[in-house]
Amino acid sequence: MSLLKPFSKLPGLNTANILLVESEEQFQQSLADVLVEETSVTVNVRLAKSLPLPMENDESRPRIDLVVFIINLTSELSLQSAEASLKYLDPGYFLGKVCFMVTNARNASAPAERLDAVRKLAASLHCPLLFAENQTPDGVASATERLLTILKVAAGLVPIATALYVSNLTRCTLPLDIDQPSFD
Amino acid sequence: MESSDSQGKLNHMVGTMEPNDVPAAEGATGQKDTSPVDMLRIKQQMSNQCFEMAVQLNAEKNKRSCSTSEAERDLPEYIGELERVKTLHFNSTLTLHRMQMWHAIGEKLNWSDSEADALKAISDRCMGLCSHIKHLQQESKKLQDEVTEIQKNRLEMKRLTHEKIKHMEESSRKEYPDMEKYKAALEKGQANLEKYKKMAIMTQNVLRGILLACKVNWLDDPKLRDIAMTLEEFPISE
Repeated sequence: MSLLKPFSKLPGLNTANILLVESEEQFQQSLADVLVEETSVTVNVRLAKSLPLPMENDESRPRIDLVVFIINLTSELSLQSAEASLKYLDPGYFLGKVCFMVTNARNASAPAERLDAVRKLAASLHCPLLFAENQTPDGVASATERLLTILKVAAGLVPIATALYVSNLTRCTLPLDIDQPSFD
Repeated sequence: MESSDSQGKLNHMVGTMEPNDVPAAEGATGQKDTSPVDMLRIKQQMSNQCFEMAVQLNAEKNKRSCSTSEAERDLPEYIGELERVKTLHFNSTLTLHRMQMWHAIGEKLNWSDSEADALKAISDRCMGLCSHIKHLQQESKKLQDEVTEIQKNRLEMKRLTHEKIKHMEESSRKEYPDMEKYKAALEKGQANLEKYKKMAIMTQNVLRGILLACKVNWLDDPKLRDIAMTLEEFPISE
């Protein structure tokens, strides 16, 4: 099985590598454009539609510090593709090197059960859950900022924090009434 | 095995990287040369990464079987413990840095050159400001005490007013048994008044009848006229 392993390669000097996994392949492009503008660190962005990653560039691929699953709440396929990709990730990644990003959460056509399902998934894997707005440049910029914060910790660039420590603070938690029907 | 392999490789790489680092950086970026600050940062990053890998290795070694629910229960305690230790460590480091700074400043002041004079002036100004701050803080404390005192008095006044109002309500209600007696007496008096009024009206009617029947001229006689005038006071009633 071609698992993506967190510690099988050497880390890069003053670089941070991030992998954006999105089945629609739209938001990841705009995120990538803003991510590489970061000046203090060299950010390498790899884009993928789903895991497992192709074996051909396994050698040339650097060590991935953070894997971000971008889920579009208006399509069921997005969630299913993300769930299927999770199987190809080594368990070592779930100690702070995986993040879920959700778009279109305010869209009326997104059923509430899907957001609950994503929440439960993120909470069971102890990963942070970020909400992003992908239509405006401001939204993309703020999503990039938050991703960069997590990425810098995962790449070891923040002096006192490690990814595992920060993941205990940023992990998604379930509200107690998540199984009860909501007001709308 | 993979992780230990990579750790060994990393140590070897870091060993050989140091002398090659500067030319490599120059070759990669052209103009930028790695300053000592950058090198320290990179070193910090590497030590962070090594720490993470060491944690993974240790985790592999200390594998013991426990249920997830047990682990979930223990997790918040461990996190709390970790945070406490980290804060303690951070605070101690800060204190240490502060002590080092003060020691350095003290040494510098002892040398008495131009910079030391500037330092002395600044520290004198700081002392002046601090005493001013203390003075202001004392004043504000006094004012705060006065405000609290006034608020207490106000509250006391409010309480007394409330009590007085309650007393008044109670006393207005207490008249009730006496009030009944007064009401009864009042009604009896009114009944008597009605009786006497009826008697007066009857006597007046009789006198009026007598005057009319006698066909006497009461206008001319002053005494009769006075009596006739008083007969008009009460209305004729059945």
